[in-house]
Amino acid sequence: MSSAYEELREAAELSAAPRRSPSRPLVRVDLSTSSIAAEADRLWEALEPLAAEHEAELMRVGTLGLSWLEPVVEVERPDLSAAAAGGGAVVYGPVRPEQAAEFLSAALGDNPAEDAAQWLIGARTPTAGVPALADHPFWGPQERRLMRVMGVIDPESIDEAIAEGAYEALDRAVTMDPMAICDLVLAAGVGGRGGGGFPAGQKWKFLLGAPGPTKYLVCNADEGDPGAFVNRVLMESDPHLVIEGMAIAGKATGSDYGFIYIRDEYPLSIARMELALAQARERGVLGENIFGSGFDFDLEITRGAGSYVCGEETGLIASVEGIRGMPKIRPPFPAQKGVFSEPSNVNNTETYANVPLIIQHGDAWYRQFGTESDPGTKMFSISGSLERPGILEVPFGMGMDDLLLGCGGGPPDGHTPKGIQPGGPLGGLLPASDLGLRLERPPFTERGVLLGSGGLILFDERASAVDLTKYFSEFCEDESCGRCTTCHGGSQRLVEVLERIMHGDGREEDLERIGVIDKTLQNANCLHGQFTPYAVRGLVNYFRDELDTHIADKRDPARVAPGLTRYLITDQSDPRLEQAAELCPTSCISRAPLEPGDADESDGDAGEDAAEALGDWQIHAPSCIHCDVCREVAPESIRVEDRFAATLSVI
Amino acid sequence: MERFAGLLQQLPREQGEMLRALHLAQEELGWISRDAIRLIARHLRVSEAQVYGPATFYAEFRHSPPPKTLVTWCSGPSCRVVGGDRVRRIFEAEFGCRLGENTPDDELGLWLGQCNGTCEKAPMVWVNGRVVGPLSMVDTVKLARGLKAGDDPIEWPERPIKIAPATFLEAEATYGSEHGLDGSVEGTG
Repeated sequence: MSSAYEELREAAELSAAPRRSPSRPLVRVDLSTSSIAAEADRLWEALEPLAAEHEAELMRVGTLGLSWLEPVVEVERPDLSAAAAGGGAVVYGPVRPEQAAEFLSAALGDNPAEDAAQWLIGARTPTAGVPALADHPFWGPQERRLMRVMGVIDPESIDEAIAEGAYEALDRAVTMDPMAICDLVLAAGVGGRGGGGFPAGQKWKFLLGAPGPTKYLVCNADEGDPGAFVNRVLMESDPHLVIEGMAIAGKATGSDYGFIYIRDEYPLSIARMELALAQARERGVLGENIFGSGFDFDLEITRGAGSYVCGEETGLIASVEGIRGMPKIRPPFPAQKGVFSEPSNVNNTETYANVPLIIQHGDAWYRQFGTESDPGTKMFSISGSLERPGILEVPFGMGMDDLLLGCGGGPPDGHTPKGIQPGGPLGGLLPASDLGLRLERPPFTERGVLLGSGGLILFDERASAVDLTKYFSEFCEDESCGRCTTCHGGSQRLVEVLERIMHGDGREEDLERIGVIDKTLQNANCLHGQFTPYAVRGLVNYFRDELDTHIADKRDPARVAPGLTRYLITDQSDPRLEQAAELCPTSCISRAPLEPGDADESDGDAGEDAAEALGDWQIHAPSCIHCDVCREVAPESIRVEDRFAATLSVI
Repeated sequence: MERFAGLLQQLPREQGEMLRALHLAQEELGWISRDAIRLIARHLRVSEAQVYGPATFYAEFRHSPPPKTLVTWCSGPSCRVVGGDRVRRIFEAEFGCRLGENTPDDELGLWLGQCNGTCEKAPMVWVNGRVVGPLSMVDTVKLARGLKAGDDPIEWPERPIKIAPATFLEAEATYGSEHGLDGSVEGTG
């Protein structure tokens, strides 16, 4: 340990002491994008004056990953012994802002385990009378290495990060030989976490071997895959881990400057990283002569502007340069000619975040978990039709069913899993029968899909595989940079074919057409175009029955396609039809007043009551937008039918 | 515009500052106007075309003034599998404009947003940047009509966010009258 680091660590521990071993109750409020979406910011405002009354300290933290229970609050009670009920660090949620007073009195009272039972999730540290968080199905199988201090430390305080060991690995790395660092990272086997899986150590060696005094590092935090939010959580909850990883990579590759490219959809990540960078510079862990070693390194943030292809490394580099973020043909690879034509290295945020752990604990420790092809742990963000969506960190090689059905709890309300969408829009589709796949790259590649950057979406029988495929194809079309006709034209044709199928005009030769488009797209210049057909290939390979039903029978089993379904009123006597008509956005549910003569024809009694002199409720099909509002209001009396079914049961 | 021109002067004159300059213009002016493009080009010493290129390439940059109330519709797959596309159709029908457009008076707009990973709120929209979700279709209609009627969009989501999808009647019982929205609809129980 260098004296400079020792000094820094001591000062940080002193400053962080009141929160690491508190003498009065500590209330940790998760303030991350997910929890703020659940109004954690309002909860914080409500708690502020109350905490002062209770003589408790309110503390901002990152996320524990329990997204479905946001806003999550953790209360640590040093005033109670851990043996007392609720005396340890106990996690509660969801705590609504309007419940702040009630919650705080209960959680800070004499018997929190009972009084605050309605919010109780589990105890993060051993607490009598409270089930341990480790026994929670979401938490138990996790191996939290990257997420070790997430949700525990204040992400906006460098002192707390340093007191927990941040920058210790950097202190060691600055005195190491660059090649030795590359070798160690290569031995640990950490692969590109954006989904490529290319060994980071190898990539670094390319840059180390590149000529020239100027070399750049780039951190890819342009996490564009919908449903993936691993990088966001990393930057929001433990920004210093990313900075430290990049600084070590700088030492290993002989680079003294880096760019962190963060997508604009993550304003909180940008703010927290900016703050962390400023603090790091102030403490001298970034800048000149870091820890007296003579190594200089600094970073800047580039804010993206909403472009998916900028996640491709050459597109990212173009975007950093301030031009249109269009991918280029490789070679030259970034290690030869990258940012501003200088040798560069691009890695994913999570890849960099793993590096300090490897330096700190060694490659053998790192390989304790994971598999031969993918050592270590991986953060996954799980969402879709799940009881417990959120973010967690598990060893590579775990079964996907254990993750999605075990931790995630499977689909809610008794729905059955239908398929999985791994790896973002370019990742493809898998049927539910593949839930048993191990979470590492090879089994996924064998099935013709990508594990990708850690987003997994489960969908149930209510979702249409054709509709999802159309969505992914639309996404790829929209985000195509437009440089090669194969990609932008190919994806346009793909969308057209799928759209036609969903409108009931599917033709038998469409399968062949999809095949031609697939083959053509494989010749696109960059991965965006090459991976675009993955989704439709998954549809053809694994959801063939559904596709055939669309094309041959003109039927959508999920009843999602507007062109293949229609809404019917099955029970005229339901009084809720009135509200349904009121709520219908296009006013397509109506009933016309009966002509005086009609009343006699339809029903003998109806004519006698003037108020009842209205005809049957009808849905005007051409203006119906299939929004399902009416069915939410009157589920028993409105039904979705196949438009082209052979036998229509009209009541 | 003058304030923007002043702030622009503080940026280094390098092409690498392009995105920063464009973000600055959008923050200061609300959108990227032709005048802003001219100013940026002059400051960064590049042609106007070299500014216009990135300004139109990236989806975040707008080329018309933003509406007073902006509903950004999340197009992500997590929303999609639980009815996100229906949410879009409802807003389009209620606002009378297509996705990516403003109403003629620029009071309301419905724009495309990309998933930011708050997927546990699916299906959702952002109302002036604030997440509102998970939305039932009934919620969506009420939200759209409320915004049309001029409800304060910042104050709108004053209600418990559901953890599990609720039926209409449950939804009504939980926060029917607190909606402050379309009062014409009442649960029948």
